[in-house]
Amino acid sequence: MSRLEAKKPSLCKSEPLTTERVRTTLSVFKRIVTSCYGPSGRLKQLHNGFGGYVCTTSQSSALLSHLLVTHPILKILTTSIQNHVSSFSDCGLFTAILCCNLIENVQRLDLTPTTVIRLNKHLLSLCISYLKSETCGCRIPVDFGSTQILLCFVRSVLTSKPACMLTRKETEHVSALILRAFLLTIPENAEGHIILGKSLIVPLKGQRVIDSTVLPGILIEMSEVQLMRLLPIKKSTALKVALFCTTLSGDISDTGEGTVVVSYGVSLENAALDQLLNLGRQLISDHVDLVLCQKVIHPSLKQFLNMHRIIAIDRIGVTLMEPLTKMTGTQPIGSLGSISPNSYGSVKDVCTAKFGSKHFFHLIPNEATICSLLLCNRNDTAWDELKLTCQTALHVLQLTLKEPWALLGGGCTETHLAAYIRHKTHNDPESILKDDECTQTELQLIAEAFCSALESVVGSLEHDGGEILTDMKYGHLWSVQADSPCVANWPDLLSQCGCGLYNSQEELNWSFLRSTRRPFVPQTCLPHEAVGSASNLTLDCLTAKLSGLQVAVETANLILDLSYVIEDKN
Amino acid sequence: MVMACRVVNKRRHMGLQQLSSFAETGRTFLGPLKSSKFIIDEECHESVLISSTVRLLESLDLTSAVGQLLNEAVQAQNNTYRTGISTLLFLVGAWSSAVEECLHLGVPISIIVSVMSEGLNFCSEEVVSLHVPVHNIFDCMDSTKTFSQLETFSVSLCPFLQVPSDTDLIEELHGLKDVASQTLTISNLSGRPLKSYELFKPQTKVEADNNTSRTLKNSLLADTCCRQSILIHSRHFNRTDNTEGVSKPDGFQEHVTATHKTYRCNDLVELAVGLSHGDHSSMKLVEEAVQLQYQNACVQQGNCTKPFMFDISRIFTCCLPGLPETSSCVCPGYITVVSVSNNPVIKELQNQPVRIVLIEGDLTENYRHLGFNKSANIKTVLDSMQLQEDSSEELWANHVLQVLIQFKVNLVLVQGNVSERLIEKCINSKRLVIGSVNGSVMQAFAEAAGAVQVAYITQVNEDCVGDGVCVTFWRSSPLDVVDRNSRIAILLKTEGINLVTAVLTNPVTAQMQIKEDRFWTCAYRLYYALKEEKVFLGGGAVEFLCLSCLHILAEQSLKKENHACSGWLHNTSSWLASSLAIYRPTVLKFLANGWQKYLSTLLYNTANYSSEFEASTYIQHHLQNATDSGSPSSYILNEYSKLNSRIFNSDISNKLEQIPRVYDVVTPKIEAWRRALDLVLLALQTDSEIITGHGHTQRNSQELTGFLFL
Repeated sequence: MSRLEAKKPSLCKSEPLTTERVRTTLSVFKRIVTSCYGPSGRLKQLHNGFGGYVCTTSQSSALLSHLLVTHPILKILTTSIQNHVSSFSDCGLFTAILCCNLIENVQRLDLTPTTVIRLNKHLLSLCISYLKSETCGCRIPVDFGSTQILLCFVRSVLTSKPACMLTRKETEHVSALILRAFLLTIPENAEGHIILGKSLIVPLKGQRVIDSTVLPGILIEMSEVQLMRLLPIKKSTALKVALFCTTLSGDISDTGEGTVVVSYGVSLENAALDQLLNLGRQLISDHVDLVLCQKVIHPSLKQFLNMHRIIAIDRIGVTLMEPLTKMTGTQPIGSLGSISPNSYGSVKDVCTAKFGSKHFFHLIPNEATICSLLLCNRNDTAWDELKLTCQTALHVLQLTLKEPWALLGGGCTETHLAAYIRHKTHNDPESILKDDECTQTELQLIAEAFCSALESVVGSLEHDGGEILTDMKYGHLWSVQADSPCVANWPDLLSQCGCGLYNSQEELNWSFLRSTRRPFVPQTCLPHEAVGSASNLTLDCLTAKLSGLQVAVETANLILDLSYVIEDKN
Repeated sequence: MVMACRVVNKRRHMGLQQLSSFAETGRTFLGPLKSSKFIIDEECHESVLISSTVRLLESLDLTSAVGQLLNEAVQAQNNTYRTGISTLLFLVGAWSSAVEECLHLGVPISIIVSVMSEGLNFCSEEVVSLHVPVHNIFDCMDSTKTFSQLETFSVSLCPFLQVPSDTDLIEELHGLKDVASQTLTISNLSGRPLKSYELFKPQTKVEADNNTSRTLKNSLLADTCCRQSILIHSRHFNRTDNTEGVSKPDGFQEHVTATHKTYRCNDLVELAVGLSHGDHSSMKLVEEAVQLQYQNACVQQGNCTKPFMFDISRIFTCCLPGLPETSSCVCPGYITVVSVSNNPVIKELQNQPVRIVLIEGDLTENYRHLGFNKSANIKTVLDSMQLQEDSSEELWANHVLQVLIQFKVNLVLVQGNVSERLIEKCINSKRLVIGSVNGSVMQAFAEAAGAVQVAYITQVNEDCVGDGVCVTFWRSSPLDVVDRNSRIAILLKTEGINLVTAVLTNPVTAQMQIKEDRFWTCAYRLYYALKEEKVFLGGGAVEFLCLSCLHILAEQSLKKENHACSGWLHNTSSWLASSLAIYRPTVLKFLANGWQKYLSTLLYNTANYSSEFEASTYIQHHLQNATDSGSPSSYILNEYSKLNSRIFNSDISNKLEQIPRVYDVVTPKIEAWRRALDLVLLALQTDSEIITGHGHTQRNSQELTGFLFL
């Protein structure tokens, strides 16, 4: 007997942003992300409360993948940040904080959502066209001919994540490795369009960071016993490789539903093994040197291949399949039938290697665009953070290769941009509004909200009670101890700006970021020699920052535009 | 699903406090005299006896986030180095409280982090001066072993001898003089109190057993041959020694010559005793195991072309509870326990070479290799009405036996389980099957007996079968070693097998685990010392150097504002960089306090001091001396050489007794420091704990205060 239950009516809430619950939830979320921001950001311990794995992090990707949010508004926010992070890796926290700030700032104003959204869009396009223009004063060209700027890039990413627990020496070491790993993925003779290779991160937990290294080719982890059983290959030419993505374990393929009846004395297992041995015979007659299998190879087949001096390695795992295909030029073989000769690929050489307590089988490619970054860190939680950070750094380098510009980091881009917008909206509002229905007053209000949202993003770089200043010439960020004695002493108290490009010995005027100041034209067009001389700049990825800016403004617009939340209660 | 978030960093820092309280439980495990603890489970009234930090943490409830991280750090250290765990735990505690005190004084977190890591890094660089090179250990052993070998050595290396530099001769003279002066010092120093060396050597009173005289004899023998090897390798050593001498201040120069020969370790026994940290019985076994491996390697390689490496993966332990402690020993080959029912088989197989097969998985009818999926829906039907008398397992076991008979195999080593029926059948046909054999043992037999490991018995062919294995009872009288579960210990070995089993015995079953743990701790200590070819002067010398160096560094940064170190701050443009100098001395002093606590606990634990305060005062006194001297490392080396000149100690028994030097392993120790500090700094920088999933719903409402929900 089935019972029918009447459906519950859907729950409809209007003006969701005005409720107390949403406000507190958003402010808790904002507190979490702002406290993580920057090189001195505070860490979060994420765990399930039952003694499971503890993730110590200050990265948006790790944070958001562990957070389980329920409220639809917060869900919109986290999903769009996650989307941004999955395609750009960098600037996740920036996006989150900016979005929260925008929502908060606009709510204080008494303007209709339509006006706010329209003006926000105008300001966004103003920002983007400025950051992309030749006159932009907060970006520098990236010269791939020298390692200096590239190392600055990597270092900026590494130092912004304190949970990696790197010392200065270790940071330098890992930066150099990341750069090498990146350079190894660029094909040597590229004509037309380049297809980048891949850097695989191989875990080696428990070892010293300084023991990390980069090797061209692929490392397959094996037990010592397995490795010692491998026969030494003596061959001067390249080795012929067969790569299987199907299992060679000799199990009987799925028979579907129903029962298979076999008569006594017939062994299906033996039949399957015979089929495998036939396959082995073909491999031998095709003069294959190396058989790699994603899954399991039947021990008898392995023994058979070994007898004919073929190295057989199984249980490679799905993650290595794509890089292996790329590197060896094989077609993964998916059936036990006959193998077409063009499925085979080749490697230059193979050898064995030992790092820490782990043993590896090392495949050396003919042309290296695949490399392995053997990454060490002392414990699991710091290793996980370091791995994510290295991936971000590699991604940032790739994005920069496409668009060879870097934004000045350390908050200088944000303060500079805010100064530029203030100046534009004051001196040239018509060019922004064009033939829109919005008034100039509305524009001023929204521009102020927008700029202070940008400025409080960089305000969150400060976690130890310092104050943030901006200079009136370049619009860069400077940090100073709270309640510092006297304004006249500033050139002595300050050392350099956030990105490290300018120092305080220049004749500059400073004012607190929180205070109101009259709009000024931040100096555009960076002098070339200034960039060349600075060796230790903090840099941000242009592509990632542009996307972050866009995602933040658009998500804020979307959330501000919500008028009803309809919940299905069934 | 909901998620809770808790701020952990309001006024008092919960994470740091938890770390200090966890660490407090392990303080008695610091140093060579460890007091055992009983851990009692209140629910099931079971208790365990423990005497190591790893076992302690296994029994503690570490489910809190910080506890979990602590466990992770300890496990990582244990899995990588197997030593330094008590140091790690203690320093976690000491530095957590040091960091908390910094917080109370209002030092910004980022500054604590950067100055502390800078300080520790400085220490790790400074302690290099206390490295003791471990070289030529096996050259010496080789020559002591057989005299004829030594002769061939000196002949082949004659070209070096023809051009000895002057220093070499001086060195040799020095060495000879040392021996002479030793005899002189006995009478001079016998009456002197031996107080000052306690700092560097926590209570290592060698029991006056036969062992001592052997040690002494060995080291004397080694000394003579070492002199030989010094000449051989003189150029290398001269170079390092000279640079060392130059770096010392002038006042110390006179000691340098005296310490030349002293601070080099090239005798295995001396090294082993120095690394035993009071556990001589375990270390003796380890040392013997190394000797056995070395001898085996020499025999195998003939003229020793490859330098010998101690291979710890080829050392095994076999625990036999119930036997007296004196039965512990080290044997070449594989010792394991088998059921008494194998008795007749072993008697039969004794005194003849046996053929061997190695099986990787289980040896049962139903076993299939890993990754093989059995189809469930396959049914076998009988065509005719003939009845099967035997079960399929019976048929399978018969088949296996047939294969064994065919290849004349009498010994089967199986990595997994073995079918009971098969074992029975094999016993009847005088064949021995041993299950649950370690993979490295299999590998050792594969190498030595020429066998190839297979997964199934059907794979066996002539090439897979190994030969020449010898099976005997471990002791001549088998009844000696029957334990409660009526099992006997047997020994399997073959010509040239690179496998050493340490038989560990103890009359008290509860102490078996402790005994085994200690054996491995000693083995890994020696392993790392030999691998790195260097050790530290031990007994607290390294920690004392760190303590005094940090004090000097703190004083220096008080006097002149040292801006060079702001680079340790990741964020150099921040205001913190410019205010670093103000806080730096304070933070460095707190870091040094951690060492001070470490040393005083170490001294207190060795029972020479009635209170930690007394121990602390004693250290303070030495610290003052060391900082006044200007060069703490010279001060320590100086103290050491004073200690060393009292090489004979007419204590208690009035017997001639060598006071061995104490050594410490290098990288594992520094890594333990680093892990401890990393953990503390990780906890320090954490401001909130985010609990995901339903974890918090089980908490009661009182606990839930302070949580925010998303």
